[in-house]
Amino acid sequence: MARQLRIALAGNPNVGKSVIFNQLTGLNQTVGNWPGKTVEKAEGTLYFEDYNIRVVDLPGIYSLSAFSMEEIVSRDYIAIEKPDIIINVVDASALERNLFFTLQLLELEAPIVIALNQVDLAAKKGLEISAEKLAEMLKVPVTPTVAISGTGINELLLEVVAVTHGAEKLKPLKIRYGKEIQSTIENLEKIVKDKIPQLCDVYPSKWIAIKLLERDIDVAQKIKNFKSGEEVLENAENLAGELEKIHGEPSAVVMASERYSLARKIAETVTVFGTSPRISWEQKLSEVTTNKVLGYPILAAVFASMFILIFVGGNTVSAGLEQTLSILIARAQSVLILILPGIAVDLVVKGFFFGLVAGITIALPYIVPFYILLGLLEDSGYLPRAAFLMDNVMHKIGLHGKAFIPLILGYGCSVPACIGCRIMETERERFLSAFVVVLIPCAARTVIILGLVGRFVGLSAALALYAFDLALVFLLGRIAFKVLPGEPVGLIMEMPPYKIPSIRNIIMKTWSRTKDFVYIAFPIIVAGSLVIEALALSGFMGYVVDASTPIINGWLGLPAVTSIPLIFGILRKELALILLEDVFLQQGLNLQSLTAIQMIVFSLVAMIYIPCLATIAACKREFGWKKALAITFIDIGLALLLGGMAYRILQLVMTT
Amino acid sequence: MRNEKRRSKNPNPACDEEVSLINLEEGDQGTLSHAFGGFGLVRRLAEMGLTPGVEVKLVRKCLFRGPVQVEVRGVALALGYGVAARVFVKPLKANQNG
Repeated sequence: MARQLRIALAGNPNVGKSVIFNQLTGLNQTVGNWPGKTVEKAEGTLYFEDYNIRVVDLPGIYSLSAFSMEEIVSRDYIAIEKPDIIINVVDASALERNLFFTLQLLELEAPIVIALNQVDLAAKKGLEISAEKLAEMLKVPVTPTVAISGTGINELLLEVVAVTHGAEKLKPLKIRYGKEIQSTIENLEKIVKDKIPQLCDVYPSKWIAIKLLERDIDVAQKIKNFKSGEEVLENAENLAGELEKIHGEPSAVVMASERYSLARKIAETVTVFGTSPRISWEQKLSEVTTNKVLGYPILAAVFASMFILIFVGGNTVSAGLEQTLSILIARAQSVLILILPGIAVDLVVKGFFFGLVAGITIALPYIVPFYILLGLLEDSGYLPRAAFLMDNVMHKIGLHGKAFIPLILGYGCSVPACIGCRIMETERERFLSAFVVVLIPCAARTVIILGLVGRFVGLSAALALYAFDLALVFLLGRIAFKVLPGEPVGLIMEMPPYKIPSIRNIIMKTWSRTKDFVYIAFPIIVAGSLVIEALALSGFMGYVVDASTPIINGWLGLPAVTSIPLIFGILRKELALILLEDVFLQQGLNLQSLTAIQMIVFSLVAMIYIPCLATIAACKREFGWKKALAITFIDIGLALLLGGMAYRILQLVMTT
Repeated sequence: MRNEKRRSKNPNPACDEEVSLINLEEGDQGTLSHAFGGFGLVRRLAEMGLTPGVEVKLVRKCLFRGPVQVEVRGVALALGYGVAARVFVKPLKANQNG
């Protein structure tokens, strides 16, 4: 029987943690959410030397305070689930900052082994780190690794196994703070042990004392539930106040300074300066791409070429796929008709199969290449630089540079873009970003704009629509920023050095993201298709057309039947264009029977009116029903309002 | 908030010793004296390595009140203008290296 082992990976962002995770688990991994949280949880399994090992990749974080959901999730997992071993991935090229986190793991009395990663990068910086000395100082095993090439992974696993065997005993370093801080901690620890012993079964008592001194809101919340909790909190408050009086800084800053000075001492002791650093290509590239003038045309060129590549490539593949699939469906239909009544065949074919085709023809040709290119930009380190350059602009709508990343995602597909808003720090920032991100025309909406306005009215009109959309995003973002309560958060972001991305890592990332997309979007698209097809077959659509005539025809100035494609568009937006053509063909007309104004109004409404069903589902998953529906109804109202206004204004402008 | 920004842009000449990060020139170095702002911001800065007494180098400033890039503890950090304006340093005059 294989023995069971549970390990977790913990470390800062950009240290190659996920690369190590991929090296360990390969394709045996699942990505989901932590229960009840919108924090990504990656899990996987591997077999090694008769061990059945379950690996959890904790989110990349800088600290174990209660700054973000990711930090709380991580420390609770370590303290409560108590994994057998924690692999702390440490970036050798930024040792001091990484050790700051390691020290906090030690405070949590977690059983750690260290993967000293990116030793190659450190060498380029002219730094050579002695793993032996580091192990000696921290009293935990240290294995040097270069995750990208897989160097040291086997040794790391051997170390993990040796520690769990008990062949090696872990007696990690006990951190001692400065004199008065240390005695304050000890005083408070005594009170904690005495008054709330139950909580000390979960978290180390010393750690509770430290967190209380730091005024950690999450720990305070937990303590309030105990009978003598208030008393403990009062004591902690007094002690923290005393510390602050001595140091003239918030206690959390005092503690951070203490940890950093210890981290520096360790880093300095274990660092042997190797060759002198040379100006590398990475530095030169970084210099040029964040240049205050040159940076912007480069940014524009990078993203423009990315989108051209996706659309040109995607269109070709999408058209081919659609053709093949429609042949297959026609075959299936001819078989089904033999065994099922006509209406049921319609329901299965138009509802189920068309829904599936809709999913496949958009997911594969557009989403997959988009994810690959995004992975390249992410892993190379370009995205933080783009965020840096765009910080100023994003501040105009109350967000900061990082929001540029989901915004860019939005041009591909709103679903990953909504999920991408997780990189923002606060709930407010996340919601605000999601609100503007769904207004960005995704690949499907681009198909409508280019296929209708671009083709029949002219490219300049299509571009004007895009420009209008951007202006709208800014205006609405600004309004939402003023209306939503709370303070805007400024940009504090690490800019990791450029790296050559690992192809393997990008493929794995693309695979798990595509899987995630398929799980959210496909059931919704297929179920939605079935429902709408059932409504159409029952003759319900006639009522819908009648009921919506005053709005569609009276207010928007569109032919009444366009309500059908607009409703179907909820499933998948470019379906609206195909259906529009179908509806017109049935009446012996074609797309060109629409006037230029009608085309523009239709595209404008389709662009804004509703994030598709899959997006609504993604929003619901991230923010709950209330906010998802709020976004949906605001967008519908806005689309109708602007569509009607555009109809009237364009009539005035274009007839005179 | 706006007031604070304005204040930090024109530091009181009497306490010329300490200047905000945004008043440093590219390539300038200094030691951090303090950061002011909400508890969350100050703690976050400290956790990212910007603790009192640490050496900071201003690497890059963006145009039009854009973000700045600093180097601290061997790591490059991007700070928004509003954040950088709240971080005060004592400039290092000696051993200028351009």
